[in-house]
Amino acid sequence: MNTLLFYDFSGLALLAIGLHGLIRSSHPLRKILAANLMTSGVFLIMISGARGTGQTMIDPVPHAMVLTGIVVSVSTTAVALVLVCLVQETTNRALLWQKRKREKWGRTDG
Amino acid sequence: MADAAFWAICLVVAPLFFAISSFVRGGLAHVFGPLAAWLNALAVLGLTVSFARSGPLRYAIGGWQLPLGINFRIDGLCVLMLAMTAVTGLAVSMYALGYFSLRIGSARQMSRHEQQRLFFWPLWLLLWAGLNGLYLSSDLFNIYVTLEITGLAAVSLTALSGKPAARLAALRYLLVSLLGSCSYLLGVALLYRCYGILDMAALSRLVSPGPLLWCGLALLTAGLLLKTALFPLHFWLPPAHANALAPVSAILSGLVVKASFYLLLRLWGEVFAQVLPPAAYVLLGALGCGAVLWGAAQALLQKRLKMLIAYSTVAQLGYLFIALPLIRLDPGPAARQAVVLLILSHACAKSAMFMAAGSIFLKAGHDRIADLAGIKEVLPVSSFAFVLAGVSLMGFPPSGGFVGKWLLLGVSLAGGQWWWGMMLVTGSLLAAGYVYRVASRLLVFKAPFFSRRQAIPPVMEWSAVLLAVLAMLLGLLAGSPLELLAAGNQVFSPAGLEVLR
Amino acid sequence: MMDAMGIFDMVLALALPWLGWRLLASPDLFRAMVLFISLGLLMALTWVRLQAPDVALAEAAIGAGLTGALFLSALRRLERLSEAERRLAFAGKREEEDEIPPERHRRAKPVAYGLALLLLAVFVLLLAWSLAQTPAGGGLGPAVGEQLGQSGVRSEVTAVLLNFRGYDTLLEVMVLFLAALGVWSLTRVRLPLQDEEPGPVLATLVRLLAPLMIMVAGYLVWIGGSRAGGAFQGGAVLAAAGVLLLLANVTVVRQIPAALLRWGLALGPLLFLLTAVVCVAAGGNLLEYPPQRAGAWILLIESASAVSIGVTLAALYAGGRPPEPPAQDRGGEQGPGRDADADAGGRQ
Repeated sequence: MNTLLFYDFSGLALLAIGLHGLIRSSHPLRKILAANLMTSGVFLIMISGARGTGQTMIDPVPHAMVLTGIVVSVSTTAVALVLVCLVQETTNRALLWQKRKREKWGRTDG
Repeated sequence: MADAAFWAICLVVAPLFFAISSFVRGGLAHVFGPLAAWLNALAVLGLTVSFARSGPLRYAIGGWQLPLGINFRIDGLCVLMLAMTAVTGLAVSMYALGYFSLRIGSARQMSRHEQQRLFFWPLWLLLWAGLNGLYLSSDLFNIYVTLEITGLAAVSLTALSGKPAARLAALRYLLVSLLGSCSYLLGVALLYRCYGILDMAALSRLVSPGPLLWCGLALLTAGLLLKTALFPLHFWLPPAHANALAPVSAILSGLVVKASFYLLLRLWGEVFAQVLPPAAYVLLGALGCGAVLWGAAQALLQKRLKMLIAYSTVAQLGYLFIALPLIRLDPGPAARQAVVLLILSHACAKSAMFMAAGSIFLKAGHDRIADLAGIKEVLPVSSFAFVLAGVSLMGFPPSGGFVGKWLLLGVSLAGGQWWWGMMLVTGSLLAAGYVYRVASRLLVFKAPFFSRRQAIPPVMEWSAVLLAVLAMLLGLLAGSPLELLAAGNQVFSPAGLEVLR
Repeated sequence: MMDAMGIFDMVLALALPWLGWRLLASPDLFRAMVLFISLGLLMALTWVRLQAPDVALAEAAIGAGLTGALFLSALRRLERLSEAERRLAFAGKREEEDEIPPERHRRAKPVAYGLALLLLAVFVLLLAWSLAQTPAGGGLGPAVGEQLGQSGVRSEVTAVLLNFRGYDTLLEVMVLFLAALGVWSLTRVRLPLQDEEPGPVLATLVRLLAPLMIMVAGYLVWIGGSRAGGAFQGGAVLAAAGVLLLLANVTVVRQIPAALLRWGLALGPLLFLLTAVVCVAAGGNLLEYPPQRAGAWILLIESASAVSIGVTLAALYAGGRPPEPPAQDRGGEQGPGRDADADAGGRQ
């Protein structure tokens, strides 16, 4: 069996695991981790295809594409992580505000 | 020497340059931003004129010919999309100029407002550059990068309002957009592995049915459908569009979702049209029907004005997908012309609606539809803009929407697939329903309307009106854009490619 | 026939998804992130096996190192938040401290879940089958080889990145710029990033390491013309130096004026853009370098980009725009330790 296909299948498996995690996980950080796994899977498929095109010739175009992809992926991850922190913060603040109100006005549910 | 290629370069370089400048010199952002918008309009004008004179064009970036380099491909569809972005973008920029010059609320709110202004302009200009680059590019991977620019800028703009709901919506939007990009990228990778080329036009010459092509195409389509928010995948759109700042909502709903649809139109209408089975088009059309019904039903149920408009976007996107099987059905240009008209008129009308809704929100301090009765007394111009845009969405005669739907109706009846036509009519009736729901409140006489002291700058009101009027008149003016569209068509035929190489 | 390398490949190919699975299944987020970093390093090893040294360098520096650092710092921020919350004695009200309330996880119905899983499995198998079926197409390897002589550099990947597909890279630099812009638009940074003072060992280590890393970054950019390396790898090393300085809370970093930082972020994108325009002004196409000088131009673009990439990635790690100068910070309610992001507002 061709060893290149190992990496193709490995990439596919990473992709599937990432997709599953992205949909199933509840915690946003884990969702973002899962999305990163997915992109890694895609990169693996791209690079293993680059070697598959010839016996000795390596195709540098997918390499360049993956380099671009890595940078794009770290950019989106950074924005996503800051957003997660902010969402959590504002939620906390809202809860805190509720609590203060409750202490002030006595317990009212709803 | 100002030929089409020169203007095309301007369209990418100018927004990027002004985005960077307005970031570095934040104090001048409100000068650079509108300046870039006007320059962009000028460049599109130049591009249109020289395109009308000399026809479609391929431009090799870096002087590297296919298959190695990246090419711009300038054809009729591309020019029309660029023109749509330029006109709508210009109106939104003028609106934003008024919006961010407002003096509102307390000192703390004001400082937040100031921050938003500082970051709105560079983000919006980068988004604009991404859109222009996407329409110009003919390279699938390059389009991935422009999609990322567009998506990331759109997410940042959504979160700009700072409301917790907007941030949550932005986070969800980002995750969806990540998933979509990932799917798209894998699709590109698979196609590249099959054919060893990334240029769309060259690809259209090479494609042959095969398992890897199907998988790649399915992935490309799935990614773009997520980003376009077609019916079952639309869940992220309404909260994101409804919770953003007013100019941002107009940009997101009017322009950003069009970009990924444009790409679908390219792929399904041109590049892979020969190999795709008709059943696939029918599937997309059916999802479009679902979007029309579901979006309209949700719009009818909404209590908030901006949510209503956002759901209306979901419904209107459905029309565009209903047009896809009709493009397949129709050998002539009618269906293609119709879908382009629908895109253009929706961009104008929906942006105008969100802009008017933003003014109404500022004046009333809320956007509860039930409590908006009589606002026309204090905001006559914006109310008029909203209603006019709504009428255009319904597809009332002189509007672009009307002509588009009329053409599609003709195609569906002539091709014997009347059910698509029926869906179009049903959708229009539903649209009439939700527009009437708002219009009946806005236009009713009930004095005095309790409003805030907030003065709305005239530029905000009039930019919305102008866009709404444009959407309304698009049907009358449709002749010349459609000629442009026809002029570009041969670029994608194999023969055209030979000539150009 | 399965030689030693083949077995190694197989083990590596199996280890990647296994690690991915463990990572997502781990209930402890910190553990998941450590596993994520090790997965990134394993990926880098894979890239080496697949003869992609450029990608391996970038993956180790950016994919594993910097992304991992971003995740860890986000986790720490979240943990700090939930700790503060616990201190406010809100305990009984919320069961899962990790969860963001508005996005309560809905338990999927087992049937729908099973169906979705089946669909996913079918599609993945289909994809695997079609990958195995299809012979690889031509690829652009030969075309790159033919034109390499005119690109001005000897490394194929650099030639593709900066010359043949330089426009992609121009836009990619913009994506990075955009990310920094997005993060800055969202929130303000809180310095110092660590609550506790850094120990003397760390401080000394950083003082020694930082100049060394800057030199390594320069070397990577220089060597990129002929071998593995380039702006992104160099920029990532530069960013690592920046992150260390931020962590050690060195005074110099805190005193960098915001305007200088803005220029640092903008330098690479701006220079790249200007180069592209100059090419047009000189009568060529966009980004068409003069053939004899191509190497020098590429080096110039790469150096400027590397600086900006380094600053940008470090800014992404800091996670917000620089704090406003204290002169504007009147009204004592915003002390340094307080929540500096009051402007973001919890107003509904």
